[in-house]
Formats: sequence, structure tokens, C-alpha cells
Amino acid sequence: MNKRNLDILGNFNILYIEDEPELLRHTATVLEDFVQKIFPTLSCKEALEIIQKNRVDIILTDINLKHENGIEFLKELKFELGYNIPSIVTTAYTDTEYLIDAIKLKVEDYIVKPINIKDLLNSIHDVLLPIAQEKEIKKSYNMIRTISAVTDGKQVELVKFILKNLDDESMFNYSYGDIMNQIDVSKPTVIKFFRQLSQKGILTKIQNRKYFFNENSLPDPGEEIDCEI
Amino acid sequence: MKDFFKYANKKLENVKFANKTKILIFTIFGGTILIGFLMFISIFALKYDFEALFVNLTKPQVKLEEIKDIYQVNIKETLSAIKENQISKAEGIEVLSLAEQIIKKQWREYKAEENEKIGGLPEFASNWLNFFLLQRDKTQKTVFEQRIIQNIEKKIKSINKKTQVIISLLNTKKSIKNKKIINDTILETNSINIYLSTLITNNLMHAISKKEANDRLFNTSTMMLVFLISLSFIFIILVSITIINNFKELHYSLEENIDKKTKELRALNISLESRISKEVENSRKKDSIMFQQARLASMGEVLQNIAHQWRQPLGTLMMIIQSFQSKYEVGKLNENFLNQSVDDALKIGQNMSDTLDDFKNFFMPNRAKQTFDVKKAIEKSISLSKYQLEKDEIKLDFMPSKAIKTYGFKNELIHVVLNLINNSKDILLSRPNVGEKKILIILKQTKQKIIINVIDNGGGVKNDIITKIFDPYFTTKHKSIGTGIGLYMAKQLVERHMLGKIYCKNIKYKFGKKEFYDSAMFSVELPIEGTTS
Repeated sequence: MNKRNLDILGNFNILYIEDEPELLRHTATVLEDFVQKIFPTLSCKEALEIIQKNRVDIILTDINLKHENGIEFLKELKFELGYNIPSIVTTAYTDTEYLIDAIKLKVEDYIVKPINIKDLLNSIHDVLLPIAQEKEIKKSYNMIRTISAVTDGKQVELVKFILKNLDDESMFNYSYGDIMNQIDVSKPTVIKFFRQLSQKGILTKIQNRKYFFNENSLPDPGEEIDCEI
Repeated sequence: MKDFFKYANKKLENVKFANKTKILIFTIFGGTILIGFLMFISIFALKYDFEALFVNLTKPQVKLEEIKDIYQVNIKETLSAIKENQISKAEGIEVLSLAEQIIKKQWREYKAEENEKIGGLPEFASNWLNFFLLQRDKTQKTVFEQRIIQNIEKKIKSINKKTQVIISLLNTKKSIKNKKIINDTILETNSINIYLSTLITNNLMHAISKKEANDRLFNTSTMMLVFLISLSFIFIILVSITIINNFKELHYSLEENIDKKTKELRALNISLESRISKEVENSRKKDSIMFQQARLASMGEVLQNIAHQWRQPLGTLMMIIQSFQSKYEVGKLNENFLNQSVDDALKIGQNMSDTLDDFKNFFMPNRAKQTFDVKKAIEKSISLSKYQLEKDEIKLDFMPSKAIKTYGFKNELIHVVLNLINNSKDILLSRPNVGEKKILIILKQTKQKIIINVIDNGGGVKNDIITKIFDPYFTTKHKSIGTGIGLYMAKQLVERHMLGKIYCKNIKYKFGKKEFYDSAMFSVELPIEGTTS
């Protein structure tokens, strides 16, 4: 779990609010290598303008800003302006006062300064991962639907049945007869499909009525879904 | 009169106590002797009066004697001569009638004198003494006396008649008859003489007895007087001795008491001195502890400032260091980035070092006096409290004049201004309704003075505590915030070390806006030549 695939960050825009210019500049310089776009800003007012004009996927803000408070800004954004953007706060204080505010606000993460860049990146990754996954799932689902629209519908049904009935050890414990009882498909079609799969090393017969589904043998469809959950 | 008493009192004040008692005794003795003397004089006067009275008593007897003589000589002998015809009738008649007249007159006078009251002071004194000695035997005429007097009067009348008869008989020359009457008359004259003698004797006896009584009275009263005087003398002496002894005892006990008290006082004095010096030392210690506390308190605040001023650049530094790794990992670690980052890091490091120097200079001050710029000192105070002010959203403005050089302890002035800023800050924080929180520091210079005004819009100081705010341990703040030493310390530093003044006033101030704010203004006045004098 230590090593995260930070490549997914490359699709996101990040808004970074920090009143200390030097820190803002240097942190932004590091972050810009990982994300699609970073909007560094010194004040909440500028931050709001950026949010209104650009797509912002995640907000990273300091709590103690000059004459402002990052948490107050997030509250305003969420409850008054209706933006529901995931956020991470940084603070030099470990005050529980802020911590409680942050929890109430359902802030995604809370980073104590000085910032460890790896922790920060991991935190951003963790926050963005579900969003990236959701996107990916949606994409895959769309892909399957597209494929099923242009290929034989029986085969798609068979694939669905196999994947649905795999046990915990990726074993498929059905005979041809069982399959035919469950779904409306002819025996030659089943035999032909199983042969195709075993030829590609996807489904290996261990014994009678017992097959092993090897997901590593699946061909790369182009873009890979991160499955390290 | 009053002056005299004053004078006497003054004189008496200087007299010793022993001498005073001597004067008292002398006065008492003198007084008693004088009284005794006067009493003797009066009693002798009384005796004299009684003597005089005795003389008065005996005078009427002389009259009686004369009457007796007249009867004896004139009447009796004239009658004898008439009987013997030794004198002429005319002579006899003349002598007899003359004698009659004289007797009448004398008797009348005697009676008048006898009944005459003495009266006046002697009688009063006598009555008083009689009353006092309970001898109420008033000399009343006894029955015997009265009878004698009656008999005498009777005899006088009968002799008178008989002499008249004799005289008329003589005129008519009836001698026989006359002889008989003459004989009778002579007899009667004899008897009247006897009566008179008896009366005289009686009266004399009476007078003598009275005199004896008087003498006894006199002796008794004298004895009594002597006795009484002696008694009162003894009494007075006893009383005097008692009083004097009492006085002496009182005097000695007082002296002893005074000695004791003096000793006690001396001891107390000595212990007090030692206690005072101890207390002074204690209070000095307390003061120094208090200063230490105040120093620690402001040190804490400054440390917080320093900590924050360090935390920020430290975070940036760490970020720069991490950025090397990060850039390296993504393959973007080029010379340009490297140079830029190193430059930044060095700059930040230098800043941190400067901050540390500030801290070091402030808390490890060289105690030597130096010439310094007041404006810069104030700016240093502001920079030391900057972080807290920013955190608490307090806007601090500084309106400096041109640079003002003075000579003294720079760090102490920084400390004073820092304390005033902290005080204003605490007040502003305790007033949540104040709106925009402001502190304004004004530095100006007059001919004699440097004036630093620290004004805040925290509403001013309440009148009932404005005199106490510079007292040690006085604080309106919650215990956790204020030590109550900041302003006291500021006052001590300004007054003792800088020979200046510090005070507080409530004013209305605009803070550059239209509305006026209730404001507290703390002013520090420093002598312009510093503390060189």
C-alpha cells in the first residue's frame, strides 16, 4: 500500500491557498510535476475567482491565512455557494479546535506543517482515487456495452455468468449442463467459447466441473484500471 | 489668673517629684498650724469676752453696795444724829430726802442693769458654745433671790414711808413719837442692809460660780481643741504619710514600668530594625523575582513570536529540500532549478539567523548604556510582537518622527514598548465588540522630552482602576493571560532606569477615520539627553 500510482493525479486540477509566498511557490513547483494544473494563490478571494472560472478537482488550503481562515472559506464554499469540492487543510497547529471544525466540515484530510511532500501527494492521491476509479469504472462499463452492441450477445452473457459465479479463489465450478440450465445457450456455443478462452490461457480446466480463471492473462484493452484496492 | 496657673504649672513641671511632695507636706503642716493658731486666738478672744461679761455682772453689785452704804451712813447715821440731836432738823431733813432720792435712783439703775441683756457676738458665742457643750443652765433668778428683792423693795417702801413720817414729824417737832419711829427706821435700815448684803453675796456667789463654769468651759474647750488639733494633726500626718508612700510606690512602680517598657521598646526597636531590613531584603527579592517573572512572561510571548517566525521559513526550507528529491524523481532536476532553490534556501536561512539574533540581543542584553535610535527600538518592539498581533488580527500603526538618538538602555526601552503593546493587545482581545482592533504608536520630540504614545481603541481604562493599573500584580485579565506585572515593570524601568515618566489617560481618538473611539493612551516621557545626567 506504500507505493501509490501517482499517475492518476495527472488528470486533476488542484487549487492551493497559502499566505506564505515562499512556501506557496516552492510547494507549487513540486506539485506541478504531478497534476494537470495547479492554481497557487495567496488569498481566499483569488481562490474563489479561480473556482468560478476553472475546473478545480481538489482544494489544498492553509488554515491560518492573513486575516482569513481556510476553514471558514471552505465552509462558505460548501454551505453557501454549493461547491462540493474535496479538500485538504494544512496547519501549523495541532489544535483540536480546528480539528473538530475540520471533521464537521468533512474535510478529507488534515496535514500538519511542515509539509512532507510525499505525505501530501499520497493524501491527494487517496482523496482523488475514488473519483478516478469511478471515472474508470464508468469508462469500462461503457466499453463493455459498446462491445456487446457489436458482437454476439450469447458470448457476452456467458462472460457475465462466469465472472458472476467465480468463487474466492477465482474458481468456476459449473458443468456445461449447469450452464445450459441457467442461461439460454446451445452446447456447441459453450464448448467453442470455453475452447477459445483456454487457448488464450484465461480459463484453465483443473478437473471436471472446475476451471481456474486467470485474470492476468486478460489482454490490455488500452487503458488500465488501477486495481490495487 | 490663668496666666498665673500657667506660670505655676510651668514652674512645677521643672520641680522634682520628691520636692513636690515636700511642698505638699509643708503646705499641709503650715495650713494646720495656721488653723490651730487662729483657733487659739479666737478662744482667747472668747475668754476675754467672758471676763468682760464678769465685769458687767459685778457692776450692779457696786450699786447695791452704794445703796447699802447710803442706808448705813446717810439714813441710819442721820437718824441716830437726829435722835441724839447732833444735827439740826433742817440738815436732817435735807440729808434724808437726798438719801431717799439717791436710793431710788440707784435701785432703779440696779434693776435696769440686772435685767439688761448682754447681746451681740459674745452672747452668740456663749450660746453657741453652750449649745455645743450641752450646758444649758441659763442663769435664771432663783426664788430666793426674787424673794430677797421683793423684801428689799418692801423695806425700801416702808423706810421711805417712815422717813417721810419722820420728816413731817420733824417739821411738827413731835419728838417722842419721833424717837420711836426713828428707832424702828434704824432697825429696818439694819434689816434692809442685811438683805442687801445677802443679795450682794448671793449675786457675787452667782457670778463666781458662773466664772468658774466659764473657766471650766474654757479649759474643756482648750483641752478639746488641743486634742482635736492633735488628732487632726496625727490624721493629717497619717494621711500624708500614706499618700506620700503611695506616691512613692506609684512613682517607683512607674519608674520601674518605664524602665521595663524602655527596655522592651529598645528590644522591639532592635528586632524591628532587623525585621525591616529583612523585609526590605525580602521585598527586594520579591521585586527581582517579579522582574524575573515578567521577563519570563514577555520572553514566552517573544518566544512564541520567534517560534512562529521560525516555523514558517522552516516549512519552506523543508519544502525546498523535498523538492530536490521530487524533481529528481520526475527527472526535472536541472541546474536552473537547483540554483534557484539553493538561493532561496540560503536567503531563508539568513532570515532565520537574523530572527535568532534579535531574540538573543533582546534576552541576553549587554547591560551597558549606549546611544541608540528610539525609532529603531520601537520598530524592534513592533517586530517582536508582530506575529501575535497578526494572529489576533490587530492592526498596529507606527507614526514615527525623524530618528531620535538617546543614550540609555536600548533593550529596556524595547521591553517597555513591548509591554505596552502586549497590554493593549490583551485589552483589545478582551473586548470582542470593538470591531477593527487598532493600536497606534506615536513618537514625537519636544525640546526637553521624547514622548512615546501607545493608543488603542479598546475603550479606555475604567476610572476606578486607572490609578491602580501600574500596581504590581494588578490585572483585569484572566489569570492565565496576565501576570499583572507588565505595566508595573514598565513603570519601574521608565522611572528608575530611564528617569522618565509613564502615565495613562483616557482619550477620544480618530485613528484616521471619521468616528471617534474611546481609547486608552499610555505615554512614556523620556528626558531628551537620555540618562547621562
